[in-house]
Amino acid sequence: MKYLRQFSGQTAQVVQRVSGVLLLVYLFLHVRTIHELSRGPEAFDAALLTFRNPLFKTLELGLFATVILHALNGIRITLIDLGIGQERQRRLFWVYSVGIGAVIFLAGAIPLVLAAMQRS
Amino acid sequence: MPVQLAEQPYRIRITRSAGEGIAKVPQEYTVPLEDRMTVLDALFRIQREQDASLTFRCACRVGMCGTCAISVNGIPRLACRTRIRTLDAGPIQLAPLPNLPVIQDLAVSLDPFFEQWKRIRPAFRPKDPESQELARVPATSAYARHTPEKRDCITCGICYGACGVKSTSGEYLGPAAINKAYLRLMDPRDIAIEERMAPLNEERGGVWRCHTQFNCTAACPKGITLTDSITRLKRAMLSPRKFEKL
Repeated sequence: MKYLRQFSGQTAQVVQRVSGVLLLVYLFLHVRTIHELSRGPEAFDAALLTFRNPLFKTLELGLFATVILHALNGIRITLIDLGIGQERQRRLFWVYSVGIGAVIFLAGAIPLVLAAMQRS
Repeated sequence: MPVQLAEQPYRIRITRSAGEGIAKVPQEYTVPLEDRMTVLDALFRIQREQDASLTFRCACRVGMCGTCAISVNGIPRLACRTRIRTLDAGPIQLAPLPNLPVIQDLAVSLDPFFEQWKRIRPAFRPKDPESQELARVPATSAYARHTPEKRDCITCGICYGACGVKSTSGEYLGPAAINKAYLRLMDPRDIAIEERMAPLNEERGGVWRCHTQFNCTAACPKGITLTDSITRLKRAMLSPRKFEKL
């Protein structure tokens, strides 16, 4: 933990790279699913049905967390490149990217989970 | 949890090697802990009392020369400025500084570091070397406002060892060299802009390779904000006005 605190910038960079790759994987899956529209509405509905199971619902939450983390950390990196908040870069990562990110995640994930529980 | 005196004697695990490319072997020593003992003190104690063949470097012992830079529990630090009591309990892991070739045990060669340092032409180049007049640097200039705390570099190589980009790209200049280039380019008296811009703009080794990881800033024993120098230099290089000159 001490290492993570001292080298928060490196942690942030690894988080950004990993979340970027995860989003790339999701984009391929997303385009592949949308492509089903070219085969007609039935094919598209069938493709969407694949995602209506607990595994994909959980992955959906993971995607939500990844998007938030990647977006907030991306803004953090842009601010730092512009010379804003360099001296507070550790706090920017842990409080802004992770902390506020967690709050936004919970604000979005709780209704998602509740809605999924009501449907099942 | 920090080391307690009551826990003495203390274990120190040193990564030893007879040179670059030769197998590294961890060797453990037990050292009685004294109050205010530094990692360098412990190394001397091991060398004097247990193993005279242990190789490490030091000179000033007060954090001014940067010679005793090593990796302490995975973090590049000055051995003479690292008190054992401030470290986590458990065997202390000592290893040579990363990203530099090992000469023996904890001693590394700083040749690659200074090769990069030389590439940015670190020497001051005035417009008129023969001039006897004192140059007046305005207090409002970017040089006067942003560089004073960046002039304390002791070329210890810690930033070079801590740099994540350096670990994957041998051609990268490294934070210390870029900080030096920043100081020279921002200096309104210095005129050697083009010579310095060439290595700084290189695709594989230049300033654009920095990923803003802040490892150099976090590790620098003199508290130099190296990442700030690098990002300021990037912005200045993109600016049409570039650098203020007298």
